[in-house]
Amino acid sequence: MMLRLITTFVLTGLLFGSLGTMRAQEKEHGTVIGDAMMYVSPDVQSQRVGLASRGRDVFLMCRSNIDGKPWAHVLVVVETGLETGTPSNREVSGWADARLFITTSTPNGDQIIFGEAEDSERQADLGTRRHALEDAMRLYYRLQEYFPKSPLAGEAYWRAADLRWQLEKSGVLMRPSATEMSPDAREQIDDETMHDMMKKFPGTRWAQLGDYDLIDNKLCGSWKDEAKCPEKESQLYERYAHDHPQSPKAAEALYNAAWRQGALVEIYKRDNERDKSEKARRRGIEIAQELATRYPEGDWKPRALSLIFSLQQGLPTYTAGQGGFGKNPER
Amino acid sequence: MKSFTILVLVVLLAGVAAAQNERATNVRDITIYVSPGGNSQKMADMPRGVELTIAERNNNSQTDPYCKVSGSPNPESSAPAVTGWTSCKPLVTASTPNADEVIFGEAVNSEQQAQQRRGRKGAAQDALRLYSRVADIVPNSPIAGEALWRAADIRWQLAKSGNHKPIDDSYMKDVIKRFPGTKWADLAAYEMLDNVLCDDSNGLPDCPLKESAAYEKYAQEHPKSPKAPDALYNAAMRQAAVADMYRVSRTQRDQSPAAHSKALALTQQLLSQYPEWAPRAQNLIYRLQQNIPVYAVHVEQKPE
Repeated sequence: MMLRLITTFVLTGLLFGSLGTMRAQEKEHGTVIGDAMMYVSPDVQSQRVGLASRGRDVFLMCRSNIDGKPWAHVLVVVETGLETGTPSNREVSGWADARLFITTSTPNGDQIIFGEAEDSERQADLGTRRHALEDAMRLYYRLQEYFPKSPLAGEAYWRAADLRWQLEKSGVLMRPSATEMSPDAREQIDDETMHDMMKKFPGTRWAQLGDYDLIDNKLCGSWKDEAKCPEKESQLYERYAHDHPQSPKAAEALYNAAWRQGALVEIYKRDNERDKSEKARRRGIEIAQELATRYPEGDWKPRALSLIFSLQQGLPTYTAGQGGFGKNPER
Repeated sequence: MKSFTILVLVVLLAGVAAAQNERATNVRDITIYVSPGGNSQKMADMPRGVELTIAERNNNSQTDPYCKVSGSPNPESSAPAVTGWTSCKPLVTASTPNADEVIFGEAVNSEQQAQQRRGRKGAAQDALRLYSRVADIVPNSPIAGEALWRAADIRWQLAKSGNHKPIDDSYMKDVIKRFPGTKWADLAAYEMLDNVLCDDSNGLPDCPLKESAAYEKYAQEHPKSPKAPDALYNAAMRQAAVADMYRVSRTQRDQSPAAHSKALALTQQLLSQYPEWAPRAQNLIYRLQQNIPVYAVHVEQKPE
């Protein structure tokens, strides 16, 4: 519970408790691309006042070159008390290595931040740096905040929103309520950032990807091997695929819809509802054929043909207990 | 006339023999029985993707069609082959419509299972075997090269996770030999660089220098490879790390500027040749221009 509170606080506080809204009129806003130790004065021997980690919201007040070393006087939002379970955001001002701060006046600032975020994301995948995923999330968020006209802004905001979504999702999945059948019986993944991204970049592939993530909140925690969940979910995915045929997730959505029909074949068969089972089998084949025809590139066509083969041969594609949020083939 | 009749008979018999010894694989786990039907004595269980030969089909209307097959129940340990009966339904042969894609699709599913936290046990090995079967059963398939590459890649990743260095590269070499000049050969060559990488550089420049040279050579030799920009980036990062190492060295400090320039040149090349890598290239250029150290963050990083 405490971890959850801290995560939520950090995610929301650090993303939205920004200096940007407070001082939108000031001249140098930006972020930091490496851990920057802050000192009381521009001297590494002076007292340390805090650590500005990647992606923190920064207001750069002045720059100074002392003994050949570039210093910046900055105001940074940092969080404290994470270890004690009483997190709070506070503004810290101090002097730090100026080279680590990327502001709106840095040439190619948007690309430098995006590159650092990508690097952090990869380090998170490799497990080579603690909190690298949170760093990436903040960096992407800062990019769209301070470079809203950048061609990378939409993708950056999508990535920030998706990382936040995935972090929240893993938290939701760890809770006992994750296995409740009804999606209303578990805590919902906070969709505020996702909706904001979709509002800022409507009709783009990023908005389409956002719409796909949002389906998570409508999936059953556990199917309990009943038909109503896969029935509803198959419809959700099929509707998504038809509403967003150009989305990079359209093929996956069709596969998920077809796979659920395959699951229904087994569930109805177990309940001795032969007609419904046969209808689901035919529907599964139809959807899989649509997938193979409309999205012949990549892995989706072979997967669709494999599913069709299984359904035609009467091979089970679903085993009891397999269905539910976080258990299905793709999500 | 007589010789013509004999010839026809020979051709027909050869056709029957071929049909009765059809190569196949299973896209589900199967059980082998002594006789057709699931009620007879069980002989063995076989995981997905086993190399099978169908000797006979039994289309008894009382039961599902059964096939008499031969195959090894434990393909990884070259266990002796078992011959017995199993349901024909999960068996895919060259005559199955879209056989190559059906097998490939099941291999992708198995790979997905292997990546899931609660995925099926042995799913990675299932995927490996299934990918290998695509080229066996449909040798002229347009996805045979990719399937062989994926099988070799899974084998490679499994060996890598088990720290079995140097990793056996015979399967990668087979991909390069059988599909030369393709994307799959390029990917195989990149994977093989793992065997060149040091386990630990101990903070000395020798390792990153050697690795940088290997990555740069790869990028030059495989400019169309999907991994060419990764290779250039890795080469540049290692040069940048070497520059940092030299900078703090007592005896080799004067070599730092050359390494720094080399890193910058490689990154500029990355930026101009592969614009989709612009953010990461610009980030590295900024760090190099500002003399922000990269070593200790990246030099120990294995290729992505």
